[in-house]
Amino acid sequence: MKIAGQTNKRIASPLIRLWRSLWVTLRHAWAKRETVSYPEIKRSLPGRWRGRIVLTRDPDGEERCVACYLCSAVCPVDCIHLQARQQDDGRRYPETFRIDFSRCIFCGFCEEACPTLAIQLTPDFEMCERSHDSLVYEKEQLLIDGQGKHAGYNFYRHAGIAIFGKAIGEGTHDTPPVDHDTNLP
Amino acid sequence: MGTIRIENHEIPFREGDNILKTALAAGMEIPYFCYHTALGSLGACRLCAVEITPKDPGKAPQVVMACLEPARGGIEVSISSAAAQQVRQKVIEFLMTNHPHDCPVCDEGGECHLQEMTVACGPPYRRYRGRKRTFTNQYLGPLVHHEMNRCITCYRCTRFYQDYALGDDLGAMRLRNEVYFGRFQDGPLASPFAGNLVEICPTGVFTDAVFRQHFARVWDLKTAPSICPHCSIGCNTLPGARDGMLRRVRNRFHPDLNRWFICDRGRYGHQYSEHPARPLTSRVDGAKVSYRQALAAAAEQIKAVGDKTGGLGSVREDLEGNTLLRALLNGFNGIFTAFSDPRLEAATITAVTALQNTTGAPSLAEMEQADAALIVGDLTAHAPMIDLALRQAYRSGARLAVLHSGPTPLARFAATALAIPPHEMSVCLSHLSERAAAPSAANSNQKEMLANIVVSLTASHRPLLIGVTETLSASQIAVLAQLAAALGPGARLAYALPGANAYGAALLSQTGRATAMLEAIETGHIQNLIVAGNDPLGDTRLGARWRAARQRLDSLIVLDCVATATAEAADILIPVAAWAERSGTFVNYEGRAQGFTHTFRRPEFLPSTAEVIADLARHLELVLPDIAAALGDTFPGYQAPVPGAPGSPLPAPAIPMHIDTTIHQGCESHPGRWQAALSTWYGDDPLASFAPALTELVPAVAALISPAAALNEGIKAGERVRLQGPAGTVVLPVQPDNDVAAGTIALTRAVLAQLGAGHGDPLELEKVS
Repeated sequence: MKIAGQTNKRIASPLIRLWRSLWVTLRHAWAKRETVSYPEIKRSLPGRWRGRIVLTRDPDGEERCVACYLCSAVCPVDCIHLQARQQDDGRRYPETFRIDFSRCIFCGFCEEACPTLAIQLTPDFEMCERSHDSLVYEKEQLLIDGQGKHAGYNFYRHAGIAIFGKAIGEGTHDTPPVDHDTNLP
Repeated sequence: MGTIRIENHEIPFREGDNILKTALAAGMEIPYFCYHTALGSLGACRLCAVEITPKDPGKAPQVVMACLEPARGGIEVSISSAAAQQVRQKVIEFLMTNHPHDCPVCDEGGECHLQEMTVACGPPYRRYRGRKRTFTNQYLGPLVHHEMNRCITCYRCTRFYQDYALGDDLGAMRLRNEVYFGRFQDGPLASPFAGNLVEICPTGVFTDAVFRQHFARVWDLKTAPSICPHCSIGCNTLPGARDGMLRRVRNRFHPDLNRWFICDRGRYGHQYSEHPARPLTSRVDGAKVSYRQALAAAAEQIKAVGDKTGGLGSVREDLEGNTLLRALLNGFNGIFTAFSDPRLEAATITAVTALQNTTGAPSLAEMEQADAALIVGDLTAHAPMIDLALRQAYRSGARLAVLHSGPTPLARFAATALAIPPHEMSVCLSHLSERAAAPSAANSNQKEMLANIVVSLTASHRPLLIGVTETLSASQIAVLAQLAAALGPGARLAYALPGANAYGAALLSQTGRATAMLEAIETGHIQNLIVAGNDPLGDTRLGARWRAARQRLDSLIVLDCVATATAEAADILIPVAAWAERSGTFVNYEGRAQGFTHTFRRPEFLPSTAEVIADLARHLELVLPDIAAALGDTFPGYQAPVPGAPGSPLPAPAIPMHIDTTIHQGCESHPGRWQAALSTWYGDDPLASFAPALTELVPAVAALISPAAALNEGIKAGERVRLQGPAGTVVLPVQPDNDVAAGTIALTRAVLAQLGAGHGDPLELEKVS
């Protein structure tokens, strides 16, 4: 009896498993499909998706990047290269800004390090090219005309330096400058 | 000497040292802002708080400022105690309340002391939500950028600028939490050491305005230990380069020489290597060719004229380049010298010989210990860091005596400053020397002053004599050495030599070779001249003669890294690496051989001078020893100094030379009514004159004469005069200057070159109506 029961079990359990998997397969044949026919159909990606990198502009339409080199310093694969310049009015800007997307691992460290919210990662990953060179993006290809994810922020309104249209002491948190030629309070 | 217990370690201390100095010397970190080894303690920043537990068990532990508390035996110091840490955190928080949100656009970021200390001991977030105090900035000239909002009031800038470098145009203004550091009004900083503000400021108030134009973060800069190429002191520097371009130069600590500071010529003169006119491709007869083609052309020229080749090295060329050029010339019995001016050649060789016969020149640290000094010439222009060392000696009470023909900033600090015309300098020095040997009565006002100088020199324990080689003749240099010998064994002697490797170049040259070379060219015995890093055609005194001689040459082969007049006139120009782009050795004014190594390479192929000469020898099928062997042959026992090490004395064989101290009265006493004197400024040397930021500061060109002479001649300030020299005429406005000797016209190097006159040569002056 004991031996017969064991034999029955040995035969029954694989059969049950077989039928179950067949049933699952059969059920999925009529289920709603998760796969979309990319590239004819494109899925909408979350806003925080880490894809192609852009340089944004501040609310006044000026470049946000002040060429502080923090993005290139934090980049774990050294794919960002830039050279700082200064305009006559005191604004700093990158003379060259180059990202090698064939090297970029889209880790988002640059975005995290950026003190002016200039560099941002976007939900775009379609960057297939036939040659390495065309994956090296220059500033013209990176700079967009909008503010990206963070609207309203203008670094120079908070910084202490003077630029055209904002003298010393006219920042958001500043008092008017001290007159150093007098000792009167 | 005792021991103090810091963080449970027994640390030895010297009597009089404070806790901070003791801890830092032992390699223990106490945060601080205002303390500086050269400037001492002030207690302004309140950051170096530590907790000390007194010996007496009845007394409670207290928090004190480590920089103000003298180290005493028996006390226990805790850096990490909760009370000390809390004080430091609060201090940082207070210092940061008004600090602007500038780090991304601040050039100090990455090497900012405030940034580091805030990360190390400050609170992670700002709690202060109020408005920030602001200051307007000043224009401080093309070298230093001012951003006063970032100030934390540590007073390091004024302590350096006023107290250490004895400048008087930067100071503290206003009061309370509104202290402002700046000038009385906008304008360039006048001190030759103003650039040190950039390094001494713990935050970004003073930043490098030249570096700012092509800014890179410190972590992106390639650096390598280097030696300053701009004068004979051999200050240790740290050039920083990025993307095949030299960006900046900073000081590198050397215990005996520059230590914490360098002069502005060293800090900002490096931009000559970025000058737009710098030759970067080889040229043959004006056409751009490859390096190989230029070498082949040069070899062809040399082969064509056989042994009729001369070689002109340079005082700014490294030891390797000069030695190999001499070895190449020895290969076909050509003439080699490193000097285009025979006078300078004789003077420099005499100076080096005089130094070899004494205990050697003192280091800058030793110069600061002098208690009396005699300075002959303008040190600020020819060796700025000796000037700074003497300012330290002056601060400790040394009596300075200055003999000068033109303006010199050191005269302000001198107990005795005598303006002496160049032709009377010999008589003056001989008088000093005779007086030191045998005192006699003075019979005129000037002689009385000279007698006072001798008295103060003989009365001192560590007298120091310094001469500027470029404005002295060989015999005057020798008389200065005699004076040093007469003052006894305690007296030290030094000369400001005319280039970074003048000492080494002098050891490779011989007196009379420059004259011999010029005559050989003029008579056609030399038809082919190789010039390495020298500019004979732009020489002040002999430029015109060299230019005429150049016409007689078959070919002029120039190896240089700047577009000098000679490089422009070259038949074959082979551009070489500037100093930061190559490795080499400079021998400084003490005879200390110091190695430097290349910081970076340019995209263009630029070999060093020694490499070019070795390649040239290969083209000529000449067997030339390699650099190490050539140096070993010339200097027995020579070992290449390791870049970054403090350097070692060059094992040089003594120059067998008879020093002629007789003054040639005939040629020196009747020079005519007017004499030229070289009056340069601290930013002037053959290389730094190609640095754009420094050239913005060049003083206005004028003929400086003494006010008494102007009165005699009836010339008012600003009136124009016509100066006539052997080579030309120049019309200049007159500027009376109290520091100029009677009968002397102090002129810049460029004007002297136009006139064809050297220091001490006669000139004609005529009023232009």
